[in-house]
Amino acid sequence: MGLRLTVQVQLVLQALLRDPAKEMYGLELSEETGLQPGTAYPILLRLEHEGWVTSRWEDVDPRAEKRPARRYYRLTAGGAVQASAALAGARRPRDTALRRLAQGDGIA
Amino acid sequence: MMPAIDPRYDARKKRARVAMFITAGAIVVSSALDGTRFSGWRWVTWVLGLTLIIVFCAISMNASGGLRGSLGCGRGRAVGDRSDGLVAHRWHGLVMVSRIMPGPAGRRWLAEADSMLWEIAAAQRAAAVRSYLVSGPRLAAVMWAYEGLRWVRPGPRHPG
Repeated sequence: MGLRLTVQVQLVLQALLRDPAKEMYGLELSEETGLQPGTAYPILLRLEHEGWVTSRWEDVDPRAEKRPARRYYRLTAGGAVQASAALAGARRPRDTALRRLAQGDGIA
Repeated sequence: MMPAIDPRYDARKKRARVAMFITAGAIVVSSALDGTRFSGWRWVTWVLGLTLIIVFCAISMNASGGLRGSLGCGRGRAVGDRSDGLVAHRWHGLVMVSRIMPGPAGRRWLAEADSMLWEIAAAQRAAAVRSYLVSGPRLAAVMWAYEGLRWVRPGPRHPG
Protein backbone atom coordinates (compact mmCIF):
# COMPACT_ATOMS: atom_id res chain seq x y z
CA MET A 1 0.00 0.00 0.00
CA GLY A 2 1.56 3.31 -1.09
CA LEU A 3 1.49 6.40 1.03
CA ARG A 4 -0.88 9.12 -0.15
CA LEU A 5 0.53 12.51 0.69
CA THR A 6 -2.59 14.29 1.89
CA VAL A 7 -2.40 17.70 3.58
CA GLN A 8 -2.69 16.00 6.98
CA VAL A 9 0.17 13.63 6.19
CA GLN A 10 2.26 16.59 5.08
CA LEU A 11 1.51 18.40 8.34
CA VAL A 12 2.64 15.40 10.38
CA LEU A 13 5.78 14.98 8.29
CA GLN A 14 6.62 18.68 8.60
CA ALA A 15 6.24 18.49 12.37
CA LEU A 16 8.49 15.44 12.57
CA LEU A 17 11.02 16.94 10.15
CA ARG A 18 11.47 20.08 12.24
CA ASP A 19 13.88 18.05 14.33
CA PRO A 20 14.18 14.54 12.86
CA ALA A 21 16.21 13.25 15.81
CA LYS A 22 13.62 14.39 18.34
CA GLU A 23 10.97 11.99 19.54
CA MET A 24 7.45 13.35 19.70
CA TYR A 25 4.43 11.87 21.44
CA GLY A 26 0.91 11.90 20.09
CA LEU A 27 -0.41 14.94 21.93
CA GLU A 28 2.68 16.97 21.08
CA LEU A 29 2.23 16.12 17.40
CA SER A 30 -1.45 16.83 17.59
CA GLU A 31 -0.83 20.28 19.06
CA GLU A 32 1.94 21.02 16.58
CA THR A 33 -0.14 20.08 13.55
CA GLY A 34 -3.55 21.20 14.78
CA LEU A 35 -4.92 17.76 13.94
CA GLN A 36 -7.24 15.89 16.25
CA PRO A 37 -5.53 12.92 17.93
CA GLY A 38 -7.92 10.53 16.21
CA THR A 39 -6.81 11.92 12.86
CA ALA A 40 -3.10 11.93 13.61
CA TYR A 41 -3.00 8.33 14.83
CA PRO A 42 -3.92 6.61 11.53
CA ILE A 43 -1.34 8.78 9.76
CA LEU A 44 1.38 7.78 12.20
CA LEU A 45 0.37 4.15 11.87
CA ARG A 46 0.63 4.35 8.07
CA LEU A 47 4.00 6.11 8.28
CA GLU A 48 5.21 3.44 10.66
CA HIS A 49 3.95 0.71 8.37
CA GLU A 50 5.86 2.29 5.48
CA GLY A 51 9.00 2.34 7.63
CA TRP A 52 9.27 6.13 7.67
CA VAL A 53 8.58 6.39 11.38
CA THR A 54 9.50 4.30 14.36
CA SER A 55 7.76 4.34 17.72
CA ARG A 56 8.23 3.08 21.25
CA TRP A 57 6.43 3.18 24.57
CA GLU A 58 7.91 5.52 27.13
CA ASP A 59 9.68 3.59 29.84
CA VAL A 60 8.04 5.01 32.96
CA ASP A 61 6.08 3.74 35.89
CA PRO A 62 2.55 5.10 35.32
CA ARG A 63 1.85 5.08 39.06
CA ALA A 64 4.95 7.08 39.90
CA GLU A 65 4.37 9.52 37.04
CA LYS A 66 0.62 9.62 37.77
CA ARG A 67 -0.11 9.37 34.05
CA PRO A 68 -0.06 6.59 31.44
CA ALA A 69 3.08 6.02 29.41
CA ARG A 70 3.35 7.97 26.18
CA ARG A 71 4.02 6.53 22.77
CA TYR A 72 6.95 8.34 21.18
CA TYR A 73 7.39 8.70 17.42
CA ARG A 74 10.53 9.56 15.48
CA LEU A 75 11.49 9.58 11.81
CA THR A 76 13.84 6.81 10.77
CA ALA A 77 17.00 7.79 8.88
CA GLY A 78 15.51 6.60 5.62
CA GLY A 79 12.14 8.05 6.53
CA ALA A 80 13.60 11.52 7.03
CA VAL A 81 15.14 11.46 3.55
CA GLN A 82 11.97 10.10 1.96
CA ALA A 83 9.76 12.56 3.86
CA SER A 84 11.88 15.53 2.75
CA ALA A 85 11.78 14.34 -0.85
CA ALA A 86 8.05 13.67 -0.71
CA LEU A 87 7.29 17.07 0.79
CA ALA A 88 9.45 18.80 -1.83
CA GLY A 89 7.66 16.82 -4.52
CA ALA A 90 4.27 17.71 -3.10
CA ARG A 91 5.17 21.38 -2.89
CA ARG A 92 6.28 21.64 -6.53
CA PRO A 93 2.92 21.04 -8.29
CA ARG A 94 1.15 23.20 -5.70
CA ASP A 95 3.58 26.07 -6.25
CA THR A 96 3.25 25.70 -10.01
CA ALA A 97 -0.53 25.75 -9.75
CA LEU A 98 -0.43 28.81 -7.51
CA ARG A 99 1.91 30.56 -9.96
CA ARG A 100 -0.42 29.74 -12.84
CA LEU A 101 -3.39 30.99 -10.86
CA ALA A 102 -1.54 34.18 -10.03
CA GLN A 103 -0.80 34.67 -13.75
CA GLY A 104 -4.43 34.05 -14.63
CA ASP A 105 -3.75 30.84 -16.59
CA GLY A 106 -5.75 28.63 -14.26
CA ILE A 107 -8.91 30.72 -14.40
CA ALA A 108 -11.37 29.57 -17.08
CA MET B 1 -10.58 5.48 34.32
CA MET B 2 -14.28 5.37 35.02
CA PRO B 3 -16.44 8.07 36.57
CA ALA B 4 -16.94 7.73 40.30
CA ILE B 5 -19.66 5.09 40.48
CA ASP B 6 -20.69 3.26 43.61
CA PRO B 7 -18.46 0.17 43.46
CA ARG B 8 -21.23 -1.99 44.93
CA TYR B 9 -23.57 -0.89 42.11
CA ASP B 10 -20.86 -1.65 39.60
CA ALA B 11 -20.26 -5.10 41.11
CA ARG B 12 -24.02 -5.86 41.12
CA LYS B 13 -24.24 -4.85 37.47
CA LYS B 14 -21.30 -7.07 36.60
CA ARG B 15 -22.80 -10.02 38.53
CA ALA B 16 -26.13 -9.54 36.72
CA ARG B 17 -24.35 -9.60 33.36
CA VAL B 18 -22.43 -12.73 34.26
CA ALA B 19 -25.66 -14.41 35.48
CA MET B 20 -27.41 -13.46 32.22
CA PHE B 21 -24.46 -14.74 30.23
CA ILE B 22 -24.45 -18.10 32.02
CA THR B 23 -28.26 -18.49 31.84
CA ALA B 24 -28.34 -17.71 28.13
CA GLY B 25 -25.49 -20.13 27.56
CA ALA B 26 -27.27 -22.88 29.49
CA ILE B 27 -30.48 -22.35 27.50
CA VAL B 28 -28.61 -22.45 24.20
CA VAL B 29 -26.85 -25.67 25.12
CA SER B 30 -30.04 -27.34 26.39
CA SER B 31 -31.95 -26.21 23.28
CA ALA B 32 -29.24 -27.48 21.00
CA LEU B 33 -29.08 -30.82 22.77
CA ASP B 34 -32.84 -31.28 23.06
CA GLY B 35 -34.16 -30.06 19.72
CA THR B 36 -37.45 -31.92 20.27
CA ARG B 37 -38.58 -29.20 22.71
CA PHE B 38 -39.48 -27.01 19.73
CA SER B 39 -41.45 -28.11 16.71
CA GLY B 40 -39.87 -27.92 13.27
CA TRP B 41 -37.14 -25.35 12.87
CA ARG B 42 -38.34 -23.09 15.72
CA TRP B 43 -35.41 -24.08 17.89
CA VAL B 44 -33.02 -22.60 15.33
CA THR B 45 -34.44 -19.11 15.87
CA TRP B 46 -34.17 -19.66 19.63
CA VAL B 47 -30.56 -20.70 19.38
CA LEU B 48 -29.72 -17.80 17.07
CA GLY B 49 -31.52 -15.29 19.29
CA LEU B 50 -29.83 -16.52 22.44
CA THR B 51 -26.46 -16.63 20.71
CA LEU B 52 -26.95 -12.96 19.92
CA ILE B 53 -27.72 -12.30 23.60
CA ILE B 54 -24.53 -14.13 24.59
CA VAL B 55 -22.47 -12.12 22.11
CA PHE B 56 -24.03 -8.89 23.39
CA CYS B 57 -23.35 -9.85 27.00
CA ALA B 58 -19.79 -10.87 26.21
CA ILE B 59 -19.17 -7.55 24.47
CA SER B 60 -20.65 -5.53 27.31
CA MET B 61 -18.65 -7.57 29.83
CA ASN B 62 -15.56 -6.81 27.80
CA ALA B 63 -16.47 -3.14 27.70
CA SER B 64 -16.88 -3.00 31.45
CA GLY B 65 -13.50 -4.63 31.96
CA GLY B 66 -14.75 -8.10 32.68
CA LEU B 67 -12.63 -9.93 30.15
CA ARG B 68 -9.91 -7.84 28.56
CA GLY B 69 -9.02 -4.21 28.02
CA SER B 70 -10.31 -3.31 31.47
CA LEU B 71 -11.25 0.22 30.46
CA GLY B 72 -7.70 1.23 29.84
CA CYS B 73 -6.39 -0.20 33.06
CA GLY B 74 -4.03 -2.36 31.04
CA ARG B 75 -1.20 0.09 31.56
CA GLY B 76 -1.34 0.19 35.30
CA ARG B 77 -4.13 2.67 35.80
CA ALA B 78 -6.56 2.52 38.71
CA VAL B 79 -10.30 2.33 38.15
CA GLY B 80 -12.22 5.35 39.33
CA ASP B 81 -9.90 8.18 38.41
CA ARG B 82 -11.64 9.57 35.32
CA SER B 83 -14.07 12.22 36.41
CA ASP B 84 -15.56 13.35 33.11
CA GLY B 85 -18.85 11.45 32.81
CA LEU B 86 -19.37 12.16 29.12
CA VAL B 87 -15.89 11.01 28.23
CA ALA B 88 -16.26 7.94 30.42
CA HIS B 89 -19.45 7.11 28.57
CA ARG B 90 -17.66 7.47 25.24
CA TRP B 91 -14.72 5.50 26.59
CA HIS B 92 -17.00 2.47 26.36
CA GLY B 93 -17.34 3.31 22.68
CA LEU B 94 -13.56 3.41 22.29
CA VAL B 95 -13.27 0.01 23.97
CA MET B 96 -15.91 -1.38 21.62
CA VAL B 97 -14.12 0.04 18.58
CA SER B 98 -10.82 -1.44 19.77
CA ARG B 99 -12.53 -4.86 19.77
CA ILE B 100 -13.07 -4.74 16.02
CA MET B 101 -9.36 -4.18 15.46
CA PRO B 102 -6.79 -6.99 15.38
CA GLY B 103 -5.87 -7.87 19.00
CA PRO B 104 -2.46 -6.23 19.64
CA ALA B 105 -3.19 -3.30 17.32
CA GLY B 106 -6.50 -2.65 19.08
CA ARG B 107 -4.84 -2.76 22.50
CA ARG B 108 -2.14 -0.36 21.38
CA TRP B 109 -4.72 2.02 19.87
CA LEU B 110 -6.71 1.97 23.09
CA ALA B 111 -3.63 2.46 25.27
CA GLU B 112 -2.51 5.36 23.16
CA ALA B 113 -5.97 6.93 23.22
CA ASP B 114 -5.93 6.50 27.00
CA SER B 115 -2.55 8.20 27.27
CA MET B 116 -3.65 11.05 25.02
CA LEU B 117 -6.98 11.63 26.75
CA TRP B 118 -5.26 11.66 30.10
CA GLU B 119 -3.03 14.57 29.15
CA ILE B 120 -5.26 16.57 26.84
CA ALA B 121 -6.99 19.69 28.19
CA ALA B 122 -10.43 18.91 29.60
CA ALA B 123 -12.12 21.29 27.17
CA GLN B 124 -10.68 19.42 24.19
CA ARG B 125 -11.24 15.93 25.53
CA ALA B 126 -14.73 15.35 24.15
CA ALA B 127 -13.65 16.42 20.65
CA ALA B 128 -10.59 14.17 20.88
CA VAL B 129 -12.71 11.17 21.89
CA ARG B 130 -15.08 11.93 19.04
CA SER B 131 -12.18 12.01 16.58
CA TYR B 132 -11.01 8.61 17.82
CA LEU B 133 -14.53 7.21 17.48
CA VAL B 134 -14.98 8.63 13.99
CA SER B 135 -11.64 7.39 12.66
CA GLY B 136 -11.76 4.07 14.55
CA PRO B 137 -13.82 1.90 12.18
CA ARG B 138 -11.84 3.01 9.12
CA LEU B 139 -8.61 2.47 11.02
CA ALA B 140 -9.81 -1.01 11.94
CA ALA B 141 -10.27 -1.76 8.24
CA VAL B 142 -6.73 -0.51 7.54
CA MET B 143 -5.34 -2.61 10.39
CA TRP B 144 -7.06 -5.72 9.09
CA ALA B 145 -5.69 -4.95 5.65
CA TYR B 146 -2.19 -4.81 7.16
CA GLU B 147 -2.87 -8.10 8.91
CA GLY B 148 -3.96 -9.59 5.59
CA LEU B 149 -0.79 -8.32 3.93
CA ARG B 150 1.28 -9.96 6.65
CA TRP B 151 -0.38 -13.26 5.84
CA VAL B 152 0.13 -12.80 2.13
CA ARG B 153 3.70 -11.48 2.39
CA PRO B 154 5.34 -12.98 5.44
CA GLY B 155 8.34 -10.93 6.48
CA PRO B 156 9.55 -8.69 9.29
CA ARG B 157 6.61 -7.82 11.50
CA HIS B 158 5.77 -4.25 12.35
CA PRO B 159 4.94 -3.57 15.98
CA GLY B 160 1.24 -4.06 16.74
